[in-house]
Amino acid sequence: MAIALLGLVGVYVRALVFTPIERTQGPAQKIFYVHAPAAWAALLAFAVAGILSLIYLWLRERKLDTIAESSAEVGLAFSIVMLTTGPIWGKPIWGTWWSWDARLTSTLFIFLLFVGYKVLRGAIVDPEMRARYSAVIGIMALVLVPFIHMTVYLFRTLHPDPVLMKPGRPALPGVMLITLLISIGVFTLLYVGFLMQRYALAVLRDVREEEAASAIP
Amino acid sequence: MPSSFWTVAWAVAAKDLKIEWRTKTAFASSIVFAVLVLAVFYFARDPTAVAALDIAPGALWVTFTFAAMLGLNRAFLLEKENRALDGILLAPVPRSAVFLGKLVGNLAFVAVVEFVSLPLFVLFYDLAIWRQLPTLIGVMAMATVAFVSVGTLLSSMVVRTRFAELMLPILLLPFLIPPVVGAVQLTSRVLAERPLSDLVGWLKLLASFDIIFVALCFFLFEATLEE
Amino acid sequence: MQYPDNGAYMVAAYIIVAVVVLLYGISLAVRIKKER
Repeated sequence: MAIALLGLVGVYVRALVFTPIERTQGPAQKIFYVHAPAAWAALLAFAVAGILSLIYLWLRERKLDTIAESSAEVGLAFSIVMLTTGPIWGKPIWGTWWSWDARLTSTLFIFLLFVGYKVLRGAIVDPEMRARYSAVIGIMALVLVPFIHMTVYLFRTLHPDPVLMKPGRPALPGVMLITLLISIGVFTLLYVGFLMQRYALAVLRDVREEEAASAIP
Repeated sequence: MPSSFWTVAWAVAAKDLKIEWRTKTAFASSIVFAVLVLAVFYFARDPTAVAALDIAPGALWVTFTFAAMLGLNRAFLLEKENRALDGILLAPVPRSAVFLGKLVGNLAFVAVVEFVSLPLFVLFYDLAIWRQLPTLIGVMAMATVAFVSVGTLLSSMVVRTRFAELMLPILLLPFLIPPVVGAVQLTSRVLAERPLSDLVGWLKLLASFDIIFVALCFFLFEATLEE
Repeated sequence: MQYPDNGAYMVAAYIIVAVVVLLYGISLAVRIKKER
């Protein structure tokens, strides 16, 4: 499993080296190749966590909760990539580090929601209760995200800010599209790899917890 | 005796309000807190650059939500103190009725705090709101239902965790974004006497948030009380 | 062809991505080792 992860890091580096071939709006445009896939991986991770939460409340399978927990944490790691590379790209291209645009704001709040999710998990000792409560939060988060998006959208469209017009997504020429797709593939693999690692860790931890629980009485 | 859904809900709400009425500590502290926040917000601006009216809607809603959060934190703490929650869990009553009762109790609590602080808000910020009062109360009702329902559900979970007082704001605040942003936008429009067509978009958002989250909270509440 | 001079932003972003991903990977590995 660790070897798979190392392989993934290797592929990821390869994509990095491959990327600089294409340039249009200056080198900063290349941040896009890591930013968008990281955002994709983060949202994928959170969506997996949310959906598994829903299925958990239905089937009550412990495993589902463990995967949701792992996926949420991996999503947080990818969110950090997304939330740091975003402003670095925004500064030269938009002229500002941060804009309260709908997608940005939504992702920020998804990140904060799952930070809350993680904090809540840390505050509950009983594993069964922890699973139920975090599933509730996961489902609520899943439903909340479209609302936050709509809120910011409504806020924006009623108060348009002409300084920060977001350029329409340029149709990517073939070579750049391939780089982007490779990068998305790599980040997805990276997500799967991290998820497996994190899941293995969670399983080890559960075993340890059970041993400790059975040793006390 | 098979008690009906509504009787149970009413019993839970009435019990909470009775306890509240006897002690009055939570009411008193929430209202004092609301007055303090309103006053602090008045001074938290540059009086030569920002008119009090400009920050009034934001101040009002920050006050309402934070005062409500004080009340919500307490709602299930009462049940925890003498293990009263175990009694409720043992009772052969539908869980959703318990949730409805808790929700009604919290709504009543928050409504009282709001109706005491609203006149003070009008006084402090020197607003003439008589003509818009019905609309404003409508907006307040919609937004309050939204965040109190989510808050009630979350507080039922949070009381049984460590650091309960810290946990509620962390979990609840993201859920406050849609209703509070909507409420602030609506309030500023109502105060500026804008036509109804300017309000419709936000009203729709608030209404759909209310419907979806109240239903979701009812559904999820059963999962928070088990054992 | 003239490019806007913003290569530093790109370098910074790529370094940050690498650091975050590596640190997370290492933290996972360390935590797994501790549990074993």
